[in-house]
Amino acid sequence: MKPLIVTHHLSRWYGNVLGLSDVSLEIGPGITGLLGPNGAGKSTLLKLITGQIRPSLGQVFIDGQPVKGRAELFFRLGYCPEQDAFFESLTGWQFLYWLLRLHHFSEKKAAERTEEMLNLVELGADGHRPIRSYSRGMRQRLKLAQALAHQPEILILDEPLNGLDPLGKRKMIRLIRDFGREGHLVIVSSHILPEIEALTKQIILIHQGKVFAQGEIHEIRDLIERHPHIVSIKTPNSRRLAALLIEKPYVVKAYFGEKETNLFVETRDRDKFFEFLLEKVVNGEIEVEEITSPDDNLQAVFDYLVGKP
Amino acid sequence: MKQNETLTSRKKSQLSFFFKGVKIIFQFSFFQGKKSKKSRLFALLSFAPIAIALFLRIHQVLSPERSFDGLYFFNNAVLLFIFQFLILVLTLFYGTSVCTEDLEAGTWTYLVTRPIPRPAIVGGKYLASLLLVLLIAGAGLIISFIILNLEKLDDLSLYSYLFKDLGVLSLALMAYTSFFTFLGAAVRRSIFFGLIFSFGWENVIQYFPGSTQRLAIIHYIKSIIPLPSSSRFSFLTFQLEPTKPVYAVFILLGITILFLFLAGVIFVFKEPRAED
Amino acid sequence: MIREHGYTHWDGQLRERRFPWWPITRLNLKLAFRKKHFRPVYALSFLPAFFFIVAIYISERIEDFRFMMRGGRLILFEVNPSFFKNYLAGDFLFFMLVLIMVFAGAGLVADDFRFNALPLYFSRPLRKKDYLLGKAAVIAFFVLTLTVFPAIIFIIFKLLFSGSFVFLRNYPWISLSIIGYSLFLTLFFCFYTLFLSCLSRNSRYVSVIIFAVYLFSDFLYVFLYNWFRQPLLALISIKLNLQQIASFAFGVKAAQPFSWIWSFLVICAFCGVAGYFIIRKIRAVEVIR
Repeated sequence: MKPLIVTHHLSRWYGNVLGLSDVSLEIGPGITGLLGPNGAGKSTLLKLITGQIRPSLGQVFIDGQPVKGRAELFFRLGYCPEQDAFFESLTGWQFLYWLLRLHHFSEKKAAERTEEMLNLVELGADGHRPIRSYSRGMRQRLKLAQALAHQPEILILDEPLNGLDPLGKRKMIRLIRDFGREGHLVIVSSHILPEIEALTKQIILIHQGKVFAQGEIHEIRDLIERHPHIVSIKTPNSRRLAALLIEKPYVVKAYFGEKETNLFVETRDRDKFFEFLLEKVVNGEIEVEEITSPDDNLQAVFDYLVGKP
Repeated sequence: MKQNETLTSRKKSQLSFFFKGVKIIFQFSFFQGKKSKKSRLFALLSFAPIAIALFLRIHQVLSPERSFDGLYFFNNAVLLFIFQFLILVLTLFYGTSVCTEDLEAGTWTYLVTRPIPRPAIVGGKYLASLLLVLLIAGAGLIISFIILNLEKLDDLSLYSYLFKDLGVLSLALMAYTSFFTFLGAAVRRSIFFGLIFSFGWENVIQYFPGSTQRLAIIHYIKSIIPLPSSSRFSFLTFQLEPTKPVYAVFILLGITILFLFLAGVIFVFKEPRAED
Repeated sequence: MIREHGYTHWDGQLRERRFPWWPITRLNLKLAFRKKHFRPVYALSFLPAFFFIVAIYISERIEDFRFMMRGGRLILFEVNPSFFKNYLAGDFLFFMLVLIMVFAGAGLVADDFRFNALPLYFSRPLRKKDYLLGKAAVIAFFVLTLTVFPAIIFIIFKLLFSGSFVFLRNYPWISLSIIGYSLFLTLFFCFYTLFLSCLSRNSRYVSVIIFAVYLFSDFLYVFLYNWFRQPLLALISIKLNLQQIASFAFGVKAAQPFSWIWSFLVICAFCGVAGYFIIRKIRAVEVIR
């Protein structure tokens, strides 16, 4: 399918700080997750795509047209910013109504659509309260509503699930998925892998301003799997356990920490490793006080991908 | 031929798209402005001349032996207050807010991701600010004029003064708001530089003879309606060498258009700072 | 093991820090100096001080500068209490002080309101008094460096240039007057700026108000005085009240024909109302334990 959003060697500096470096992407319809730790350059990329900031180098095209200076493109685009900023003196209803008016909706149509959208994000009863009295979750829902209200073809959501409780997250995820199913292009950024997994299989991994991987989530998971995984085990029988483990083909390395009771194991197959360890513990051969995995976070994934030790 | 027609119609549609944007932004900004607490506080400030006028009236009733010329007092006190203080404070705040307020509050994103050209955002917000300051300052001017000239309200010739003053007030507000809109777009500490300009430059420069005084906006205002000098720089001799009123009107309009255009151009390239 | 990382109120014996407000002051001073254009403005504020030092030099070398004199005396070159009053209550110094307040003072409390920083302050072993002292000390720093500091330098230069202690023998109380009046000025600007900074979350708005109130009081006086010719109307003007008090502090003939006590009372009343408002405003957002 023809990509709707294309970026050509996009780079952006903030003074001496590199925000984004040589990013070339092609994004087609459906939901795409933009995954990366804080400060990776996700917001910068989304701001460049929406024309809020200008690239230092490179270009952005939406449906073949350069974004720069084309206000009419925003008829087709909805954007939900990460920043928790609102016209605080307005009510939720006024906020949505006026933003629809800014989309050239007539007074009547804007009012009707405002009601619809408030009900969709379950703010119907609170629509006439000032935004400053809204909870974090309500504010997030209102931000999503303003991005969806004018029925855009392209939806760009910068960390839309931030600050939502689990129930709120589920509802928001459902809303976004429904929108994506209608054949629209949706880009959702997040630094939390399970959030993105719940939304889509298509992801873009971004770190330190560079795109590290783009594709289906299982491919990236495989990529992670191929890299050794570190497990830290606190055990009084560390030497014996090390001797048992080092013979196994799936164990790359075993070494001791500062204390001899701390054993670090690098493995290529976590499942087999834990199966073996469990067996030894159940049989009473090994006594384990604590098991931790310093790799179970997104930063570790990126560290693997960039080859950090 | 056909190509020319297509080009003209495209230009027309671009213009209508631009003006439609200006109109919606104006409506939205004016709606916000009239609701804001700040506008109410500034409106209170504009009631100062009304309070003074009322006070003088009461004083006149209590001591009728003293002669009272409402028009003289209006020209020498109320206009001085409005032109040398009130409109400077009002336009400084509202003008510098045009390009910076939303940027600082983070609400800028909602405006620039709408199908509205950026210069239209500046234009619409400028017009909304202008209307607000015109209502605030104009109300003070009209009401204090009426209070000070109560007994002569049937004299139609008196209204020519009022309309002239209102006209100059509008021109002054247009020029100052436009200049401060530009300042807000161009420099970071716009309030500070605006204060220096309003209460430093504008005051000091008019005491210099020759063409130097033409570098102040107040010079053109005074060229249309001569105002007495405020006593702040009494060690300097005030010597107005006026520009012809017609020229002054055109120059004030020129200042308005020039700085508004520059503000629009700067706003096209405006971005939130990295730390925002 | 689960460790609780949430915010907890400080609870226990308060280990008295000698100046708990000092970190606030240090931080805000740093922030002020980091602001773009602030340093040149601050430096420019010392311009009158520079001229006054030149004047001291000329006063001691008056014979060499006789060509500059026409007829009568040049009062500025006479270093006496009036010299110090002219410096410490000069229009330009007040103008610069208000500008400095706009720069460094407008956001002191307003920004804390805007970024909801007050609960962060009060979740530490810090009392409201310490918070306000910390903020006030920022203003005090700027006012004092532009008043006491140059004035003391003037005395030192006067003594150096004249090569004798005659000046101090003639006016033994001058140092006390300088310190007393500067402290009073500092107190006024602390209340004035913090009060206005409490009014809004928007520091741009506060900046305009700081300037507008100062100028408005003067404008109002001029208008009313032109009409009523009543000298007591000078009590409306912030500037004239401060100048009236300065005249008393330096034993100089006052510009207004009424007692300095009236001006003193007006300023004290203003500070009292401002103080009450500041305390109420900070109390409203204090953390409830």
